[in-house]
This record gives sequence, C-alpha cells and structure tokens, in this order.
Amino acid sequence: MKRRNFLRSAGALTLASTLPAPMVLRAATPEDYHIAGILSFSGAYGLIGNDMRKGAELAVAMRGGELLGKKVRFSWEDDETKPQPAVQKASRLLAEGTQLMFGAVSSASTLALQSLSTQRKVPHLVTISADDSITKMDGARYSFRTSNTLAMEMNMCVEFVKKRGIKRVYAVTADYQATRSAFDDFAAKAKAAGVEIVGNDFAPLGNRDFSVIIDKMARSDADGILVVATGNDGVTFCKQAGQVGMGQNKVLFGPVLQDEIFAAATGEAALGVNSGVRYHFSLDNPANAEFVTAYRDANGDYPSAFAGEAFDGLRWWMDVIEATDSWDVETWVDAFETSVYENSVEGRKEMRACDHQAKQVGLWGEVVKGEAPLPDLTMKITEEFSANSLFSDC
Amino acid sequence: MSIIVIGLSLSFLLFLLAAGLTLIFGMLGVINFAHGALYMLGAFVGYQIVHMTGSFWLGLLFAPLIVACVGALIEILALKQVYDRDHIFQLLLTFGFILVIDDATKMIWGFDYKQVPTPEIFMAPISMFGSQIPSYRLFVIGFGAAVSLALFLLLDRSKWGMIIRAASSDPEMAQTLGVNVNRVRTGVFALGAYLAALGGVVSAPLVPIELGMGFSVIIDCFVVVIIGGLGNIRGAILASLLLGMTRAAGYTYATEWVELLTFALLIGTLMFRPAGLFSTKGRSA
Amino acid sequence: MTRRIIGQALMGIIIAVMIIVPFFVQDEQWVNLVSLILIWALFAIGFDLVFGVTGMLSFGHAALFGAGGYALTILTLSYGVGFIPGLFAAAIVGAVLAYLMGLFALRVSGLFFALLTLALAQMMYILASNKLRAITGGLDGIPGVPRPDLFGINFYDNHNYYGFIVAVFLIGLALMALLRGSPFGRALRAVQANDVRAAQLGYNVHSLRQSAFIVSGAYAGVAGALLASLIFYISPQMLHWSTSGDVLIMTVLGGKGTLLGPILGVALFELLKEELSQITQYWYGILGLVFIFATIFLRNGIAGMFQGDQDEGDMQ
Repeated sequence: MKRRNFLRSAGALTLASTLPAPMVLRAATPEDYHIAGILSFSGAYGLIGNDMRKGAELAVAMRGGELLGKKVRFSWEDDETKPQPAVQKASRLLAEGTQLMFGAVSSASTLALQSLSTQRKVPHLVTISADDSITKMDGARYSFRTSNTLAMEMNMCVEFVKKRGIKRVYAVTADYQATRSAFDDFAAKAKAAGVEIVGNDFAPLGNRDFSVIIDKMARSDADGILVVATGNDGVTFCKQAGQVGMGQNKVLFGPVLQDEIFAAATGEAALGVNSGVRYHFSLDNPANAEFVTAYRDANGDYPSAFAGEAFDGLRWWMDVIEATDSWDVETWVDAFETSVYENSVEGRKEMRACDHQAKQVGLWGEVVKGEAPLPDLTMKITEEFSANSLFSDC
Repeated sequence: MSIIVIGLSLSFLLFLLAAGLTLIFGMLGVINFAHGALYMLGAFVGYQIVHMTGSFWLGLLFAPLIVACVGALIEILALKQVYDRDHIFQLLLTFGFILVIDDATKMIWGFDYKQVPTPEIFMAPISMFGSQIPSYRLFVIGFGAAVSLALFLLLDRSKWGMIIRAASSDPEMAQTLGVNVNRVRTGVFALGAYLAALGGVVSAPLVPIELGMGFSVIIDCFVVVIIGGLGNIRGAILASLLLGMTRAAGYTYATEWVELLTFALLIGTLMFRPAGLFSTKGRSA
Repeated sequence: MTRRIIGQALMGIIIAVMIIVPFFVQDEQWVNLVSLILIWALFAIGFDLVFGVTGMLSFGHAALFGAGGYALTILTLSYGVGFIPGLFAAAIVGAVLAYLMGLFALRVSGLFFALLTLALAQMMYILASNKLRAITGGLDGIPGVPRPDLFGINFYDNHNYYGFIVAVFLIGLALMALLRGSPFGRALRAVQANDVRAAQLGYNVHSLRQSAFIVSGAYAGVAGALLASLIFYISPQMLHWSTSGDVLIMTVLGGKGTLLGPILGVALFELLKEELSQITQYWYGILGLVFIFATIFLRNGIAGMFQGDQDEGDMQ
C-alpha cells in the first residue's frame, strides 16, 4: 500500500523535485541490509535465476540471517532476461534503499544494471555473466565479478588442448561479439602452441540446427571440436553431434559447454564431452563440504554451478562488509577491491583492484556416468588450472 | 550429395513445424501466434509420456492428441467469440494464449531442461555419400513426407477437405447446406494444434526441451507460411524445400549469413509476390 | 453524445491525476512507473495513428522505437551532440526509417503489411545485434546513455527527469490532438473506412498512409530515445518483435482509434505487470488471461468502456 499513499506528501512538489533522493536515504543507518536480486525467473534462463537464488539465500542463512547486526532482506525480481525490466525493477528497489544489487543472468541485463550502479553509487555483484566487458580495466567502480570470465575459460580451452595433445581443431562459434573475440583469442594462442585451426563456422545465436556444420566437422581431419556457445546452443550442438557419433573419434570441448544441468538436457550424447566448470560440488575442501551439506539439507539436491557461484560471491562480499564494521559504501568498495578470499568453495579467490575481477583457479571436467545419489550424468573434475596460467597481469 | 539429404531433413522439419500454422491460416484466416507455444507444449507432453512409458512412439502418438484437445478448448472458449470481428482480434487472442500456455507449462514442469533421447532404432548413423547421416534425420524426412502427403490428400482430395474448404470460403452457404461450420472450425483449429505438437515431439530428440523453445521457432514458421503463400499446404511444402535447401547451402558456404539470407528471401517474396511464391492466385493485395 | 464527452473528460482526469501525482509523492517508485508509462504512451499514441486511425497493423514499430534510441545514444556518446539536438535527431531518424520501411511495406496492405513490417523489423533486429555490432554494441548494447543537460538542472535525479518526460509527452499529445482533428486526420480516417472510396474522392491514399507512417515513426523515435535515457542503456532487445507486440497489446487494451485510450492501455499494462509480478511468478500468465478477457469482452478497450460505445471504431 506504500505506493498509494499519495496524501502523505501533498504540497511537497518543489521539495520532491529538488531533493536528491538517494543521498537522503544513504545518510542514516538503514533498518536492514537490503539486497536487490535481479535475475531471470522466467523463460529459458529461469532455471539459472532460481538456482542462484537458492545459493544466495543459503549464504545469508548460514550467517544467521544478519549482517552488521541488521537483518538481511532480499527482494527478488524477474528481469525477463531483458535490460529494460532489469533496470526498471532495480530502480524501484533502489528507491526503497538498497545496499547491494545482485545479478543479472544475461550479460546484457548485467551491463544495464552496471550503468545504474555507477550512476547511483550502489555496489553491484556479478556471479554468472561471463562477458569480458563487464570487468574492464578501470571500469565501473561499484561493480564486482567473483565468477569466471569468458577469457579465462578460453585460456582453459588452450591449456586443455595442449595437455590432451589435440593437433587440429574445428570450431563452431556463436555469432556474438563476446564469443567471436573469445574464438579469435583462442585461435591466436592455439596457433602459437602449434595447433592447427582447420575450420570455424559462426552460427547464429539461438541456432537450432547444426547438422550441416556437424557434417563438415565429421568430414574434416580435426581431432578436437571446439564449441564456443553455451546454454541451448551448446546443448543442441552436443545432442545433434551425438547422433553421428562424433565423440567416438573427436574430442568435444568448450568454455562452459556442459555441467549437470546441460548434461541432463543433452542425454547420453553428453558423455565424454569436456568443458570448463565454474564451480563443482565435488571439490574437496572444508568450505565446500560445509556448503554442499547445507545446500543438500535445504534443497535436497547437489548445488549447480549457478548456485555455488552465487553462494560463494555473496558470502565473500558479506564477509568483507562485516569486517569493515561500517555502513559507508565507499569503505565497502575500497575493502572489497583489495580483498583475498581464502575460504572460497573453490579454494582461493583474489579480487583485482584494476578491473574488479576475481582471480581464481580454473576447473575443467568431463561428463561421465554418475551413481546415485549423483545425477545420471555428472561432471568429473579432471584438471585444475592455476590462476596464473589463466589471467594476464593488470 | 550429402548436403541434399541434410537439406531435405531441414526442409521436412520446417514443414512439420509450419504445417499447423498454414492450415489454420488457410482455413480459418487466423494467424495463430500461439503456434510456437503449442509446439512447446507438444514437446513437454511428449517428454512426459516418453519419461513415463519409455517409448518415443507412444509420445508421438498421444502427445499431439492431448494438445489437440487444448487447441479445441482455445477455439471454443475464446476464438469463437470473435469470428464476427476483424481478424486482428483473433491474432490478439492467440497472442494472449502464448503467455498463458508458457506459464502453465512452467507451473507443471518447472524450469529444468528436459530431454527426449533419440529412439533406439535410430541411434546409429548411416553412411551415405561419404557422410555419416543420422538415421533419425532420415526418419524425419520420411515422416515429414508422409504427413505432407496425408494433409494434401485430406484437404484436396477427401470429402472432409471439401467440407472444410466450403466452410472456410463461404460459411453461410455451407451452413445452409447442412455443414456445422462451428464444429468444422473447432476441428480445424484442433488439427492445427495437433500438427504443432507433432512438430514438437519430432523435434524433441534434436533440441533441448525448455521454456523458450516456442518463441524461437515462430518466426521460422511465419517465413514458411508467407513464402508458401498464406494458408496453402502445397505452397508450404515447396517453401519448406526452398528454405531448407537454401539454408543447407548457406550453412555450407556462409554460415554467419544464414539468418539474413532467410529474411532476404522472405522480404523479396512479400515485395514481389505478396501472395507467396507458390500461390496460384497471384497478387491478392 | 453527452456520454461520450463525459467519458472523454473522465479519461482526461484520470490521466491528469496520474501525471500530477508523482510531483507530490516523494516515493521514487511512482516516479519511475509513471515515467515509463508516459514514454510508452508516447510510443502508443504514435502507433495508433497508423493502427487505429489509418487502419494499418504495423508489426515493425519496434525498429522505429529502437532506431530512435540508438540515434540519441550514438550521437551523444560518440559525436558529442547535445541531448536536445539528439532527441530531435531521434525523431528524424525514426521518421526516415519509417519512410524507408514504407517504400517496401506500403506496396502491400492488410495482413501482408503486418507480416512485411514484422519481417523488416526483425531483420533490423538481427542486423543490430550482429552485423552492425561496431556501431550498436551488438547484443550487449551500449551502456551509459546520457540524460538532458539543461538549465543547470540535475536530470540524473529521477524526479527532475520526470518533469522533462512530462513536458515532452504533453507536447507530443497536443500535437497529436491537433493532427487528428485536422483535415489530414479526417483524410486518414476516410482511408481507414474505405480506401477505394477515399481514392475516388480525390485523396492520395498512398501518400496519406505514407505520411501517417512517417509521423508515427517520429513519435516512436522520440519515445525510444527517452526510454534509453531513462534506463541509461540501449540494446537490440528494443527492436525485437515482442516490443511491437507489447505496444499493440497496450493500444488494443486501451482502445484503438482514440486519443486517450492507448495512454490508459499502457498504464493498465504497466500497472498490472508491476503489481502482479510482486505477488506471483506466474504474473505473465495472469496478464495473458486479463488480456484475453479484455479482447473478448471490451471491443473498444478501456476507452470504449468510458464512452459507452461498443461498436464504433471497429476495423473493417
């Protein structure tokens, strides 16, 4: 009913239009710590949003629901995977007074939220969108990404090719600026390592039929098939490649081509596919063991990479905020910018002040058959690439 | 040579996707925007049946029937109310149903991706012309051809087809001749929904089953229907072949231009032969 | 007749109240919501000139809307053009694009016009998200779209920017009211009622349709520019065919062919969306049901309800 309370400020026309509202809200200590979660809860990405929400809520629950002595309150909004609703809903929540924007899923929405965050000086945490332009050198002051970048995932692909001894690669790349530059990057590094690129096709984003491209690949002498496309496109490709048995004599791999969710959508054809992994529940460290147990108790399922990254990023942020013992946004940002997270579920993460990107190890895995209670198809982590091999210096 | 086989499989898949849209437009004059949603619903229902019975064929048999009932309900409850008004209102109604069907699907099946495995007998690829052709693709060609033939016979050669055509070209005359026009319309819409769902089940082993899948096929369906000449089954078959072959060639030589190629074909058609490339009526606008 | 006038007045009052309230309410949520409503309403008013007045169903307005947004964004960010010239440029770009689309699309009419505009706009969507990525930023869009810089007022404060939007909206509404009442407006209605007869009466039907489309393009361009500036961001999503679908739904809900109806349609659409999405995650489905009921039972949308006419204004 709050919004309909017109009378409250009748006559305040001039006052209302001259007061810079956000400034006023920030001055006092708020009654709670409010997190605006702007994610996809509908359409093809709805699954991701829901998993991220579970991870984020667990991060708060595991610290007793409080931060800086105040209750933590979430507002979850569906951005329909579009920038306009993302900004619209975030603006509404910011007007209530928000301490943190969390999201979005798609890179376009995330970039839109980033503009808003810069404008309104509200911290913004990204734990999924992988587009490299989100963490630019000397970019948005209030935006941080604790999850992988596409560039580091492509470097993992290069390391994998070297390690596996793949000599000739045929690639299919989603026709999208981030994936195009990711492929160029890969091609340059792979060539330098003596790997031949025997072909590359740019397929339209959202492509539903790869049969011609798959036929070209099958006829080539490539021993590695690189798929620079994620989500539906990657699943569709793997499913259709499986129908010609491509995995029998060529290795399929890609930046985030498979995980438990995508493998369930792909079916048997996913077996043997190699992929970068953002986070995996099987990681052996105490922080992860604690998280996975709590997550399974709460949701009855193993956490997906989306849930894991959301949990990890948010807990890191809250740990740092708690340590500042302050309600000053600038203090938070300064502290987080240089923080090191020893207790990450992925081992260790280090925030880089230059681009606000977390430097971290890269996980790599292969889809294998799982035994209960694991899913039927599960990722087996096969490599852990060191952070230094994946990140260039600032 | 293998490109021709693959092109054929693309073509017949396109035809299966677009046949229901063509039928409904041709016979009822309604542009069914909810076609993509019904296609998605077909895939989900198909998944459910395959999941429960383990048989793809039961899914292919029953899922379209269930979706046809949904289609009949939509026609009776909503479309029937606005036949006396401009065609735009029917289009608007089907637009509303996209939202309803999408959310109902989400409510029933949740967000997870679903998958339908390739039927056992079509698992292994077949060697043809130096390529490995997935045998499921060959099934799609055969099945698509059979469906197109059946539709053609039904609409152009059978007594039912005559009744349907009579009811669509002159409903009042048909009514006086004892045709229950209302029931014919319901039947045609249900058949259109049946075909949409059939496309969904046939696609299921090829693509992930997810909530956005309907949205992504609707434009392709429009393209086939427009190029074929609105509402013309024979035209839709030829348009599917033209588009499928163009795409197969496009994917072979200039992958990144395939989408624009499709639109160039479409816009050229609308400008120079708005009634469709394969329409016998010529310009009707 | 009196019923009509009372209905019109009631609608006017509702809209006036909606516009005035945010000035008095500190709560920023209202400001944001009404800003969005007015921008989309400007878009819908322009759309209705083509759809409701001239009787052409365009499914390509998303392209005009997006083009305006891109014009403002690119001119201000890459060429240092000021906001106000940028806004005028957005109108011009919208109008020019409408003219160009018209060269193709106006060769046909009826459903073919709808489908051809849909195809043209969707092609522009693909171009903007792909091949023109050097200019448009591709699917990731362009962040940091500026706001006006006038009279030393801080338009980055949403209350102040709201004032600016209201000013532009009222100018747009007034111009449209004049246009619709003018001989030009009457000629357009004649075209809708019966284009063959209109031609016999000496009207140049083609150029009338073309002019309506161009004016509509200018409105869409300005609205798109204002939206990009409101959310500091533009992406090809604005050009997607679902944007054309949205403006169509809003216009029909409100009552096509009426001046004030589409504004109420936009308000209802946005308000429902806003309220429902806070209650249930199935809000889109409920919105769909509301829309279906409105289509079946409200022939002339909300405006028809106010004016008590259920038949007039129906398209042929």
